[in-house]
Amino acid sequence: MARTVLPLLCALGALCLIDGNAVAHHSVAGQFDQSQRTQITGVISKVDWINPHVYIQMDVPDEKGAITTWRLESLPTAMLRKAGLTSEMLKGGGQKVTAAVILARNGTPNLGWLLNLTYEDGHEYVLAGE
Amino acid sequence: MVTDSARAIGLKTALTVAAFVVAGGASAQSANGVARAPDGHPDLSGTWDNGAGIDFVQPRKDGESICIFGCASGAPAPAGGAAAPGAPPPPAGPKYRPELAARVADLDARQVQEDPVLRCFAPGVPRIGPPDKIVQRAGEAVFLYEDVSGSFFRLVPTDGRPHPTNNEPSFLGDAVGHWEGDTLVVETKNFNDQTWLTDNGAFHTDALRVVERLRRTADTLEWTATAYDPGVLTEPYTPAKRMAKLTDLEIVESPPCIDRSLANMVDGSHHTNPR
Repeated sequence: MARTVLPLLCALGALCLIDGNAVAHHSVAGQFDQSQRTQITGVISKVDWINPHVYIQMDVPDEKGAITTWRLESLPTAMLRKAGLTSEMLKGGGQKVTAAVILARNGTPNLGWLLNLTYEDGHEYVLAGE
Repeated sequence: MVTDSARAIGLKTALTVAAFVVAGGASAQSANGVARAPDGHPDLSGTWDNGAGIDFVQPRKDGESICIFGCASGAPAPAGGAAAPGAPPPPAGPKYRPELAARVADLDARQVQEDPVLRCFAPGVPRIGPPDKIVQRAGEAVFLYEDVSGSFFRLVPTDGRPHPTNNEPSFLGDAVGHWEGDTLVVETKNFNDQTWLTDNGAFHTDALRVVERLRRTADTLEWTATAYDPGVLTEPYTPAKRMAKLTDLEIVESPPCIDRSLANMVDGSHHTNPR
C-alpha cells in the first residue's frame, strides 16, 4: 500500500484532536521521540485491546534466538474499529511481522509508538504514517 | 387504479393517525417524519452516530492492507491543535471569574497530569456529549454511552418526579427530563467536582447544573447543552451544538480504559480537545 511521507507529528497530533465522546487521550509527542526510530521483526504474542491506547506485545528474537518482548503503543480502539481492524487481525495469525516504531523519550527500553506493521505475506497496516 | 402518489398519501395519513393512536409499544411516525412513541412524544430511541470525535479518521483499504493515517491519497491528518478540514471552529470556552483565572491557567498548564479524562475518569456532563444510544419508554429515557473512558448510562425520568435527594454526588449527576413540545429537556445536577467542562483546566464545582436539549428531526438528533455554575463562571457555558445520525451500527461495550502513558510522559505537551 502506497504511503505518503506524513509529518509524524501531524499524525500524532491527530490523536490529540478529539471532540467527541469516544476518544480523548494524551499527547503522543510528550511520550515518544520522532527522531528516534527503529524497525523490529518478530511475532505479535498479545494485543491488549484497551483505551485510551491499544498495546501490542511483540516477541523479537536476536541473532542467538533470545527473545525480547517489546511493548508497542498504538491508536485508540475506536479508530482501529472504524478501520475494520481487530486484535486478531493485528496478530496476523502468528506470522512474522516487521514493525516500524519510534522510541520512548524517557529511554524506557523496548517501548515504542507503532507506526506500521508489515506482515510476512506482504499485507500491512499503516497506523501513523512515517 | 391506485397510483404511487395515492399510496404515499394513504400511507402518510395512516402513519399520522397511528402516531396518535396508542396501540402497543411500537413507535409510529408523524407527518413530519419524526417517529413518535405511543405516548405521542417524539421517539428518540435508537443508536445515534455523532462522529465520536473521529470524523477526520478516514481509513483506506487496499486488498488485505489498511491505512489509517499517512495514506497516499487520503486527506492528511490534521496537525495537533488544528481543526479537522471542514470542522467548525471550537466554541469559546467557559468564562471564569477573574480571581479564578490563575487557577484555570495552572490546571491548563498541567493538563496532561490533571485532566480527569486522561486518567480514565468519566468525562462528566456536558463533556460526554450526546448519547450514543437512547432507549425511551413512557416516563423514562435511558442514555447509553460508548466512551473512551468506559461504558456509561444515565437514567432520565420524564414522569414528573423531582431530582433524588439521597444520591451521592457523581461524575454524571442525577438527571430529570421533561418535554417542551418535541424537545426533551434534561436537567442534571448533584455532580461531584472531579470532572472538567473542557480539556483546558475548565474545572467546576459541585454546584454545577447542566441543561441539555435533545430534538429529533427525521433521522437526525440535535443536542445542545448549557452548563451553569455561577460560583465560578461569569456566564453559562454552552458547548458546540452536536448533530447525530440514526445508525444501524450498534454500540459495543467499551474496552477498559487503562492508562499506561502518563508514567512515561517527558513533558506536558498539551493537546487540543474541544470536548
